[in-house]
Amino acid sequence: MSLYMFPKEKLAAFVEALLPNYRVVGPVQTEYGYAFDDIASPEQLQLDYTTTVLPPKKYFLPQREVLFNFSNEADDQGQPHLDVRPVYADVEPTVIFGVHTCDMNGIMLYDKVFAEGYKDEHYAARREQTYVIGIECLRPCDSAAFCKDMGTLTAPPVYDLHMTDVGDYYMVDAGTGRGEQLLLDHVPATMARKEDIQQLGHVLSAKWPNFRMRLKMSKDQTPSLLTLGYRAKLWEELGEKCLACGSCTNVCPTCFCFDVQDELDITMENGARARIWDSCQLREFALVAGGHNFRETKASRVRHRVMRKGKYIKQVHGLLGCTGCGRCERACLVDITIPGTLNALSDEMQLEPGD
Amino acid sequence: MPAKPKVAFFDFTSCEGCQLTIVDLLQTHLGLVNLVEIVQFREAMTEKGEDYAIAFIEGSCTRKSDEDRLRKIREQAAVVVALGACAHLGGVNAMKNRWAIENVQTYVYGEDGKAMYESYEARPISAVIQVDAAIPGCPIDRFEFLHLVQKMLQGRAPKLPDYPLCVECKLKENACLNKLGKPCLGPITRAGCNAICPTYGDGCEGCRGWIPEANFDEMREILRGHGLSDADIDARFTMFNHYQMQHMGDDAPVTTTVSPVKDEPLPTSTFAAPQEEPVR
Repeated sequence: MSLYMFPKEKLAAFVEALLPNYRVVGPVQTEYGYAFDDIASPEQLQLDYTTTVLPPKKYFLPQREVLFNFSNEADDQGQPHLDVRPVYADVEPTVIFGVHTCDMNGIMLYDKVFAEGYKDEHYAARREQTYVIGIECLRPCDSAAFCKDMGTLTAPPVYDLHMTDVGDYYMVDAGTGRGEQLLLDHVPATMARKEDIQQLGHVLSAKWPNFRMRLKMSKDQTPSLLTLGYRAKLWEELGEKCLACGSCTNVCPTCFCFDVQDELDITMENGARARIWDSCQLREFALVAGGHNFRETKASRVRHRVMRKGKYIKQVHGLLGCTGCGRCERACLVDITIPGTLNALSDEMQLEPGD
Repeated sequence: MPAKPKVAFFDFTSCEGCQLTIVDLLQTHLGLVNLVEIVQFREAMTEKGEDYAIAFIEGSCTRKSDEDRLRKIREQAAVVVALGACAHLGGVNAMKNRWAIENVQTYVYGEDGKAMYESYEARPISAVIQVDAAIPGCPIDRFEFLHLVQKMLQGRAPKLPDYPLCVECKLKENACLNKLGKPCLGPITRAGCNAICPTYGDGCEGCRGWIPEANFDEMREILRGHGLSDADIDARFTMFNHYQMQHMGDDAPVTTTVSPVKDEPLPTSTFAAPQEEPVR
């Protein structure tokens, strides 16, 4: 695809031009940090932000999403029958600005899980109408980030547009034809010239030393490390500490498990089936009919989460289930972290550090 | 549709705020009266029917004479639901259980008045009668009440969340109060209130009771990290859940005793009104 550029002061005009026809969302300042939220006027958009409590997954897999409405209605003969109507609430053309490369890696995983093989209609409806505009990360969000370890510091091919701040300009890589159209229709962008591309190359090379490595091993070693460490003592120690609060999974850009609940209105004749975020860290997650719980102990649940991040998802979908965004570490009140866990496991298994 | 089940509301030692919440719910969800027939509800109506199938009981049992009334309700009702923290847990009423009842009575009513008011250890109603379901909270969450009624009408067992408030805070993308240095019992408290207090910046006080897996040791460490003394942490752990702590015996995660101590002085209220000057 093509590389474009536009002056940074034109960002406001870009957003302004999108607002009549799109729901525009992006990072905004909150009382204590940043959050992805609706942009009503361009000055709210903060592309130079650190991190958010929730990743942009909420725009693809909302916290609570109604799948269909049902009602108990009488037919022509007066016999009751169940009428079911699918619902695609709030599915509208949406532009998400400011998606960091870690979160784009998260979106890449959702695409594999929800759009390949068995296609999830509700995910697909949102995904098709959503433009992803990435922003190149030039500095780590904070000390919790370990994106460099996880190989998520470059943009994966899920973006429609990807912006890099090169000083006075944004360099914009058009990842899709529709993204290119969106850009050209809404902002006076020009093709990048040779010297601009060289400038971009300089910025992209210069950013790497800003990021530190936190893992004692290569990310490619985590599946085997976790295989070896399945029965490690570490899990018991972490289980003792864990609050089983589910914060780590709820804030995770690659956790997508949900529960399905039926809710009735006041007449009890009509209702809705909704899916709601669920967490493998909660006691009831693996509780089945008959009362058996496959992961009764917190230790087994903590282990399951790390197994998924570092091994299982890789086995099933070909991608590691951790983007190194650091959100779980920021959310945890008892200092359970992915790098800390993998490093401790590596120590316990007495593995040599990888390259 | 089958006949509407007859329901009745009762109150024991409480502020009646949970019943008030239901009165308030009826303003926005009047359709509730199409689902059930309310035959007794002192706070909302004059009629006093004694034929009911579902009894909602607000308040804790704090008097010997309450026991017979509770048993009578239990005999009549097919289903008994504890309504709110007082009935469900004992609630704030049970804070007095730390002191000998005679001292509490003297403290509250004075030497002259204490004989006029019957009182004993505050307990949840489940300590006296079998309770089929509970709606936690101080006060209850109106929508949780509505959902529970609907579940019962469907013949399904009502179920409470057994995960902590943190889940709800995260889904709402609230900033974590504990991360901001503000004490919050959310990590050990049963969800279902949609994290209403933390959403408005107040730390959770545990009114909905503990989750089955409450990690008291780590919760205490978090609160110590905010600079709270162990006595202050004990006070927070026992504010709504004193009765539960009493009945955990030696396993109670408190550093001081929660059982009545005969001679321990009662606290001096920091909210006491200044002595009034006599009017001349």
